[in-house]
Amino acid sequence: MSTEGDAVTASGLVRTFGRVRALDGVDLSVRSGEILGLLGPNGSGKSTLIRVIAGLLRPTAGTVRVLARRMPDRGIAARIGYMTQTAALYEDLTARENLIFFARLYGLTRGEARRRAAALIERVAVERADAPVHELSGGMRQRTNLACALIHQPDLLLLDEPTVGIDPRNRRSLWEYFHDLNRTGGTLLISTHVMDEVERCHRVALIERGRIIAAGTPDELRKATGTATMEDAYLAFSAAGGGSLARQGSIR
Amino acid sequence: MSAARVAAIAGRIITQFRRDRRTLALIFLAPLVVMSLVGYLLSDRREPLPVGFVNADRGGDLFVGPINIGSALEGVLRRQEGIALRTMPSPDAAEAAVSRGEIAGAIVVPADLTEQVLAREPASLRVLVAGVDPIADGMVTLALRRALGSLAETVVERLAAAGAPTAPAQPVTIEVITVLAEPALATLDYYGPSFIAAFAFFFTFLLTSVSFLRERATGTIERLSASPATRLEVVVGYLCGFLLFAILQSLLILGYSVWVLGMRISGSIGLALLTLAIMVIGVVNLGIALSFFARNELQVVQFIPLVFLPQILLGGLIWPIATLHPILRALAQLFPLTHALAALRTVMISGGGVGEIGNRLLALAIFAAAMILLGAAALRRQRA
Repeated sequence: MSTEGDAVTASGLVRTFGRVRALDGVDLSVRSGEILGLLGPNGSGKSTLIRVIAGLLRPTAGTVRVLARRMPDRGIAARIGYMTQTAALYEDLTARENLIFFARLYGLTRGEARRRAAALIERVAVERADAPVHELSGGMRQRTNLACALIHQPDLLLLDEPTVGIDPRNRRSLWEYFHDLNRTGGTLLISTHVMDEVERCHRVALIERGRIIAAGTPDELRKATGTATMEDAYLAFSAAGGGSLARQGSIR
Repeated sequence: MSAARVAAIAGRIITQFRRDRRTLALIFLAPLVVMSLVGYLLSDRREPLPVGFVNADRGGDLFVGPINIGSALEGVLRRQEGIALRTMPSPDAAEAAVSRGEIAGAIVVPADLTEQVLAREPASLRVLVAGVDPIADGMVTLALRRALGSLAETVVERLAAAGAPTAPAQPVTIEVITVLAEPALATLDYYGPSFIAAFAFFFTFLLTSVSFLRERATGTIERLSASPATRLEVVVGYLCGFLLFAILQSLLILGYSVWVLGMRISGSIGLALLTLAIMVIGVVNLGIALSFFARNELQVVQFIPLVFLPQILLGGLIWPIATLHPILRALAQLFPLTHALAALRTVMISGGGVGEIGNRLLALAIFAAAMILLGAAALRRQRA
């Protein structure tokens, strides 16, 4: 299943928290240079999967390889960008100061950190970059949060529900930006529970109760289920309990 | 006022507490620990304070037979609770033992005590104390006063029983000699160092434990963990950041006490600050480490009495460590406040230098290093 061109390969991934099996045998690969959408309801294991891939959680069983290294491996921390679900920023610092701080953690010099922060503020369109973060709107915080995940120019971006709580206009421009990143060679794994967002992904993996129930391009998933929308496709896979439909045809 | 709404709010709080097992445990554990210590410390079950006794009294003759007030006093002191009397050969030996900290003080009976008393002349006893720990010094003098009081009663009773005249003798005066400090220190000078150490500890612990929790609350710790920064880098980075403010705070407490309140400092103020600085390094990391074990502000605040009060109770601030049960005495040696307090008293009251407090500074440094490792270990729990 895994190929040379895979940025992420998870096999048989299990992660338990006490008696809860948050991941229950996840097999998933993210190909280099693609945008993979991880679609699933709340509590399906999206965040846990992303945190295991980011090396923040150790798998209870199974393995995950990221950029050809078995995780957790701090040696490749600098090649992974991780955007947390809620904006993880220092509220008393400005957006720019947050960016420079995280840049310095990744070993950038002060001057380089400053240059990149300025460039990102421009590109991600963070307004009021010099006001304390606690004064920023939800949308601006989320942009700053994204910029913080990009500051070290990672090869793989793990975005955990990046558009939650963002208005439609901001959501659209964030997605435009994700595609920009992808065009310049970035691999993105984006979790979401918003159906229309996955239409913008190259491939989609459906996750439910800690298992990947189907994966393929949005078209493939719709065709396999004979449905017209991603929502219906998702519901069809969910009703079939994954497995049976996914094994038909070209979906993997 | 709606009873239903009040009940809903009260019920919600009770439910929250029931869910928050750790807070619940701390709410009951902290007072139990503290009150158990207080119960023990205020009981008579503490260990006796070692006190030396030098009896040079030649004695004298009363019409009922020979008498030696020094020996009689020794007998009374031996029976007295709270002190353990050790006979010493000479005042010099007693003074040496006091300055080494082997005994809390020594009572020296002069050769002519009985003669003076019998001759109705003013007589005096000498008490040698270190002059550094006000409580221990006070306990020695108090023991002597109580012994003299009860001795006077017995003597008068016995004389009366023998039908002898019992005209009152001149009261015996007590001359207190401080071996390590200058005599007649003001109360502020005497107690000041204890409070400086205790408050520097308290404020630093408060500062770090609560503010570090913010990192957890905002989720930025997750981002730090995803970065290439190692655990030790994170902990040491935090330490350096907090340390600046913690040291400024210590400097403020110390400087204000000395320059504004006029607290006496016999030794080097730099050495006093160094003592506080080393203590504060440990306390900053203790705060960081404990905040990792807490899930919310409430839990951190509950940690404060649990960490702070036993050190106040056992660290020598109120009760001399020599009077603690051996287990508590050993425990007190693990507390940074114990060493900081002893070192500050030595520097500020008796003018001690690095030679005198070297061991204390070493103990504080070991505590600091241990706390840095504990902080890094606690951070590991955050990850993977």
